[in-house]
Amino acid sequence: MPTKWVLHWHPNPGSTVNSQILNEVSQCAEAINGVKDGRWKATLTLLKPNLRDQSQPGEYPRELLGISLPEQPNKYYFILRGPRIVTEADSSIQVIMEKLQSYKSRIALYFEGYQYQLGDFQLRVGKVVSSHSENLRGIVLEVEYLPISSMEKASQVLGEFVDIWQEAVLKRSLPGSFMHNEPNLSEYGLAVQYAYVMAQLFASQSTQAVRN
Amino acid sequence: MDVKPNFPMQFQQQQLPQLQQQQQQPEPQAASTPSTSAGQPAEAPPKQVALAMDRLAQAARLIADVRIGGDRLLEALFFAAQSHQSNKTLQFLLKEDASMRQHLQDLRTVGRQLEETGVLNDSMKSRGNSWGLHIPLVCPDGAVVAYAWKRQLAGQAGASAVDRTRLALKAFADQKRRFFPHLEDESEDQSTEPGSKKLCRRQAPLTSQLDELGDFKSVADVLARLEKEVPNVKVLTYQRRDWLKRASSLPSSGNENSIESPKEQSFHSLNKMRAGPQAAVASERASVIEISFPCTFRAVVSLHPAGSIDPDAVAFFSPDEGGSYMHARGSSIYHVFRQITEHAGIGLQHFLGVGSEIALYFLLNWICSYQTLFTKVCSKCGKLLAADRKSSAILPPVRRSFRQFYPVRESSAEANSSTKDQVFEIPGAYHIGCYTDEL
Repeated sequence: MPTKWVLHWHPNPGSTVNSQILNEVSQCAEAINGVKDGRWKATLTLLKPNLRDQSQPGEYPRELLGISLPEQPNKYYFILRGPRIVTEADSSIQVIMEKLQSYKSRIALYFEGYQYQLGDFQLRVGKVVSSHSENLRGIVLEVEYLPISSMEKASQVLGEFVDIWQEAVLKRSLPGSFMHNEPNLSEYGLAVQYAYVMAQLFASQSTQAVRN
Repeated sequence: MDVKPNFPMQFQQQQLPQLQQQQQQPEPQAASTPSTSAGQPAEAPPKQVALAMDRLAQAARLIADVRIGGDRLLEALFFAAQSHQSNKTLQFLLKEDASMRQHLQDLRTVGRQLEETGVLNDSMKSRGNSWGLHIPLVCPDGAVVAYAWKRQLAGQAGASAVDRTRLALKAFADQKRRFFPHLEDESEDQSTEPGSKKLCRRQAPLTSQLDELGDFKSVADVLARLEKEVPNVKVLTYQRRDWLKRASSLPSSGNENSIESPKEQSFHSLNKMRAGPQAAVASERASVIEISFPCTFRAVVSLHPAGSIDPDAVAFFSPDEGGSYMHARGSSIYHVFRQITEHAGIGLQHFLGVGSEIALYFLLNWICSYQTLFTKVCSKCGKLLAADRKSSAILPPVRRSFRQFYPVRESSAEANSSTKDQVFEIPGAYHIGCYTDEL
């Protein structure tokens, strides 16, 4: 299982995200000899419970984050931020939820873009769009180091790669930079070994995007 | 003078610029006799190739003739302009004109023949012929792809020659070891430069230390010593068939359900897990050693013959990889481990040259130095990642020096001290670009 870091684009104060920046970032990936591999797509949905019976509000979590990831197309992950739990379910849970009408999706964000292969690294550059409007809400970059799957061992490697990447991006003098939030993984019960990195960072990214 | 010689040659010379390149072409090959008894239209490819080469050479000669003829005509005109012997020059010009036309006619014929056989266009390439040979092709820019088939055959011959040489060398080395054991204590001095002081310092303790390392009689001895010296390593031995089973059952990356939980214990307990009476036999017939550092790498060393302490191949893999391609001569799907495997092959040869008795011991210790693969920065440039120019992959320092890899004493001990004080110096780590052969 490879290790990943997710970075999101933090625009300089006063400037906005636009597709020009996305193009520049993609060109950057190609400039460091990345080979375009294909498309990828992930979704993040904010779910609210549909409470018929208002008398027992405390039993249900107030909001759920649902995530679908490209590497695991037949799984769907939920994050409960309060008790800090990540759970894994089959992808048909979405159909079930729809049928049961138990949870309603309030906001949905789509992350989609291209992925690039750089030796043993895999880069995913994507844009963030919400389901309501077609506006570009943000840019996300996912870096993956394929050979090893331990976060501690890979952190140094990924850190240096991100440094190399930041250098390459800086050369293009774009208004803004990529930021990486170190997830505090020990707070989460590791029910799912795979999704927690993505989950934490997508979550922080989505709140930022929602605030915008 | 009422001569209007035709000067079509300039136009035609431009028309066939590609054939002019044939001037530098060497003699056509003498092709092997075709094995088929086919008639003219269905000749065997070598014959076709030979014919094509012949015709190309012919074309070259004709072009040369055309050029000389052109020169002569110009000369004649110049002469005619200067002198007034009109009759002589007229005859000369007519003669040259006739010969020039003849040359051009021949050239057209050859050209047509070449076109028919597909030399000047691509028609032959699309027709796959079962011999895998390529008709010589003259590309629009003048390059001649005439020797592709010859290169192919030569390449195959070369590859098989390399393999045969390697096998022969191995056979000779085995025999030498068996029949000339006294020749084995030569330390590897040839590759080092005589003037280097550092190396001289190393060479003196080497021979004495080799004696003191004692005899490694079996794999068990080597592994016991290794486990004492390297605390985190997990070493397991297998017979070849068992290793194949284990490799195939290892979970491949991306598969979350692990079929086999990794065995934590040392090789002793592995033998215990087998049926009782087979335990002692298993370690004697061990032919595969697996060295793994959790989350960092898995190295596979094969021994030949089984049960001996002679390593003959080594390969590195990711700890998450699995599949039947994981063996000492296989190669990982990841760039970083492929590079290490390549470098380790050279290291193995070096250690075998140092001494066959201790080669396995040195090799295993050297492999263990890779436990810092993803954390130790390069000793030359100080960074962890660097791009490899050849493959443009970004890699950590994948090369560890092995020429200076010797055990050194920790304390200045007495001459008869046990070898427990010896540890290996930690070798420097280098990127591919930072590594030089003297290291």
